[in-house]
Amino acid sequence: MDVTLEKKLQGFQLVAQEKLQAILCSIPGKKELILEPELIKPLEHVCTASWLKLKGIQRIYKHDAKQRLPRDDDQVHIYMIRSLLGTYQTLLRQLQPLAMQISSESPDLELRAYHIICVPSCYGYFHALLEQAGLCGLVQLHHYNWDFIYLDQGVLSLELPNLYECLYLQGNSSALPAMAQSLRLLQMICGQPAVTLTFGNHSAQLMHLLQALGTVPQPPNPPDFGAWLIMDRDKDYVSTLLTPAIYAGLLLEVFQLRAGEIVVDNANNKIRTQKLHLLQGKTEYATNQGKPSCIRLNSACDEIYGDNRYKHFAQASSLVRAQVKALGLELQKLNDMQLEEMHDYVARKLPKLTELKAKVLRHLNASEIVIQMLGNFRRLQTLEEDILNNVSRKRLLTEIDELLTTDGQRFNTLRLLCLLHLCAGVAPEELQSFARNYCNMFGHRELCVFQQLAQAGLLPVLQPERKTSAKLLSNLPLPKFQQTEFQANANRLKLLTSCADSEQPAAAGSASGHPAIKSCPSFVFNGMYIPLAAQLCSMLLNATSSEQLATKLAMIEGLQVHVGAQASTPKAYAAHLKTASTENADVFPLRLRNLFVFVVGGANYAEIAACDFVSKLTGAQITVASDTLLAGSDLIAAAFNH
Amino acid sequence: MESQFDNTDENYWNRSSRAAFSFDDEEDVDLGDVGARTKTGQASQSSKWDNNEIFNDDTISEASFDNSAALGTLNHLSIKAILSDEALKLVLQEQAVDDQVMPKGVTPEEELKLLRRQIQSTLYSPNLELTAQRLLHGKVAPLEMFKSLVEKRKLLDAVLANGGDAIIGVLLFLKRTLNVTQFNGILQQRPKALEHYLSYLRQCGDVSNYIDTLQRFGRHQEAALRQFQAALSCTDMATRKQQLQRLIDAYASAGVGIIPLYEQVFHSALKLQLVLEKEPLGDLSQRIGDNPTPIEVLYACCAQNKNWKEQDMLKISSPQRFAADQEISPAQYEWTALNERAQSQAYADLECIFERVSGWHPLKSKQFHISFDLTLAVQRLFELQAPATVLQLFLSKMSNSPEKLVLAQRVKCIKAVIDAMVSMKQQQELQQLKQTLPDRSEEQFYCENALKALQSKRWTTDNIKLKL
Repeated sequence: MDVTLEKKLQGFQLVAQEKLQAILCSIPGKKELILEPELIKPLEHVCTASWLKLKGIQRIYKHDAKQRLPRDDDQVHIYMIRSLLGTYQTLLRQLQPLAMQISSESPDLELRAYHIICVPSCYGYFHALLEQAGLCGLVQLHHYNWDFIYLDQGVLSLELPNLYECLYLQGNSSALPAMAQSLRLLQMICGQPAVTLTFGNHSAQLMHLLQALGTVPQPPNPPDFGAWLIMDRDKDYVSTLLTPAIYAGLLLEVFQLRAGEIVVDNANNKIRTQKLHLLQGKTEYATNQGKPSCIRLNSACDEIYGDNRYKHFAQASSLVRAQVKALGLELQKLNDMQLEEMHDYVARKLPKLTELKAKVLRHLNASEIVIQMLGNFRRLQTLEEDILNNVSRKRLLTEIDELLTTDGQRFNTLRLLCLLHLCAGVAPEELQSFARNYCNMFGHRELCVFQQLAQAGLLPVLQPERKTSAKLLSNLPLPKFQQTEFQANANRLKLLTSCADSEQPAAAGSASGHPAIKSCPSFVFNGMYIPLAAQLCSMLLNATSSEQLATKLAMIEGLQVHVGAQASTPKAYAAHLKTASTENADVFPLRLRNLFVFVVGGANYAEIAACDFVSKLTGAQITVASDTLLAGSDLIAAAFNH
Repeated sequence: MESQFDNTDENYWNRSSRAAFSFDDEEDVDLGDVGARTKTGQASQSSKWDNNEIFNDDTISEASFDNSAALGTLNHLSIKAILSDEALKLVLQEQAVDDQVMPKGVTPEEELKLLRRQIQSTLYSPNLELTAQRLLHGKVAPLEMFKSLVEKRKLLDAVLANGGDAIIGVLLFLKRTLNVTQFNGILQQRPKALEHYLSYLRQCGDVSNYIDTLQRFGRHQEAALRQFQAALSCTDMATRKQQLQRLIDAYASAGVGIIPLYEQVFHSALKLQLVLEKEPLGDLSQRIGDNPTPIEVLYACCAQNKNWKEQDMLKISSPQRFAADQEISPAQYEWTALNERAQSQAYADLECIFERVSGWHPLKSKQFHISFDLTLAVQRLFELQAPATVLQLFLSKMSNSPEKLVLAQRVKCIKAVIDAMVSMKQQQELQQLKQTLPDRSEEQFYCENALKALQSKRWTTDNIKLKL
């Protein structure tokens, strides 16, 4: 049977159901499921409520951290939570009274009345904590990993929202094995790729784990992917920090995303909640809308989204507006019709049209809020472009500071400073004066954020002053000609497309009006920058031999080529091929043209759109997967969870 | 993709998510919503729970039942087509937490062998690889037989090489079975392990232990930050102040070096506490919560300030004094005051905010001074519906006439439009503008006068004028 790649990726849902079923069916009794609220949306991608009912769940509740749900004697309570230590501890504290109630008679171990399912994995030390809480024997723990959730054509997500924080800010690798498990499942379904390129420590670690987990059984179908690309988020922060110019990207800038769905809520959108309430200026806005509507970012469910998702925002919003007009005209036709015609029309066409109209109106509403919220988008883009190309550094700092004062956004203003640090380097003294103003604006309690972001490499590290004579030397204003690591790599990989010396200076002036360059994946950032993932994909797809690839990727540290169980740098791999050329053939050019891209620490829509563009250009198919989808403000927000 | 979330089904989910997925279709749908229930009060709760009886089948769940039968074959895709039986079995096996079950149908001899091996590895020589492997797969693995320090270290290094939650698991085991000196010694040599341990302490909310560990391993700056945070999160004002004071003293005298930013912010936080203690914030206090930011307090100070001409610098809550104490930048001060005064419609005070007496030359008259882009000020004032005269005042400070014209047109300030046109000598445009203005309106007079002045000026040519 011929199963397309798209079908297989959707098939992850079946495996997730199978896994959940195995857990639920292993638990006897009258079952009630208590879900952590954040799990509800992603779980909808796995199964429906009726499916759960079919598996013996009688009722489903939202978990409330404040109080425990009372239980009847014959009921079994199954809690489902994220594997976060904090959440887990709260739950244990809630269940604590159980340990007291139990009388001397030994409970029947087979019939435990409480179960906790941890997503994506029940950490080993959770058992130890359970024992300490005196709940061992009363509560049973389970792993549950739903693996990849198919959000849209070419977009997969593990829906693990706190991974970036754990991995990059706290250096805690607890979630890596679960990710490796999911990649392993991908290998079981889609086969092993001929080659895997990793960029960054966590990515290399994932490959190591994948091997340590053991071999996988052969899939029933021939392999689908020619190559995998696994990269760390911190190797390309810029594509997350820049404001995207495409429709899907901007929707995510303004609206909250929950498992592939955005909530179009004007009163509580992402931009508004970032500002200080007192300095918001106009306070009256349309609050009369009863319930905020939702848009599913899935091209199969929403053709309007499908048509516009990776288009330039200006183009997309004018298309939506045009469509609203066209639909209005279409509905007006009704007035000029004969009665019979009308009957037919109402019966056949009208329901579809009204449904379409509802969808279009939702998009219209969303894009209007985006326009309103972004305010002076052109100014922001010019600022970002100047930051990216390091044009008149001094002015950039004053401009960011002015933005902080007059339009202070908790995450987005900081995001610009981080971008500046990556592209031009921010000196500790400069950070100091910015941080003072920032703390004045958003409170002294945010002081920790600067340390957190420095941890991630997004801001400079502040060093304590020691009262030694060496201080004098370091205080001398020596000119620095150092390039930041980002700039060095970006130049090597030709990611910056709007530099003065580049061949296409066209992009500079033509901000949001109409996309100037349509032949380059940098259109996702208005022709300023090509996301690293897209550039590596096109290099992989266009490589004619390992040697050619090795020269292109020369001088870039942290890249590894994995062929079979061997890991080496691209250069070493090419050299190895030369010496032992007879027995193993070069994997390049790729025989299978499909690529799988996995970003450790959250992908963004600009990346996805750029990869989509590359795939159309090269006739390949690129699937982008990650632990979650992030906008730039979400990434910065991770540093605030203290 | 469409079929798996059939329309009716999706509606059901949305509906039921509101009703907390209770299958009951009873009148009190939010029964299952534990969050909503808390508000109804403790007393009525138990009775409410009794109401919540066994579910009764409703039509909606029947409908989705039909749909879910088809779920097994997603678009006629069966799981067998994508995953072999063997692989599926493996996946399900790997999901299980504990697989220490004796396989069925083994001969007694084999069983004996298996048991022997198990005893061997539990009691005498621990199997390092096997344990690491089991931990990696997320299985329960006994660690108690790792007795000697060497074995413990090896175990930790093995899980460190793999990464994952096992690191914290093993660390907690080590902490339990080693004394503090040994445990810290192990952490000292393994920075990655230390990161994991710190992350564990942080996530489990054990603040004092977290801070101690940071200090012990020489990360004093981070420790100071955490202490600062802990101090600020005290709900009681007195303890908050006390803790801040203690932190400031300790930070200055610890001799571990000082980061100026931290020191400054610690001091400002304490000063802010003192202001909050002495000066009640008035009606604004509800709007800004009990942990306000300096700018929010400044806003409140502005709202309470009566005398803008001569601010009382001895009073800690007069805006200028407060801004100076908190090192609020001039731009931030001006922007906050502008917003507050405009919101309170006290436009007359704006002039005082934006004027500076030059310090070195007291005789010189007061000058207009603004620390951010004038355009932004005008736009914000317009947004806050300031009257045209106020807008004109600000627009008159703009030196670039074309920009001024554009902005004035945008904020519909006719007089400023006229001014800009005059300075650009656009007579024709002025004439046109005059015709659009309502008859005998103030603006029309203004426009006429401007035109007259412009025309008469033509005869008093500049080059004849004496330069004084």
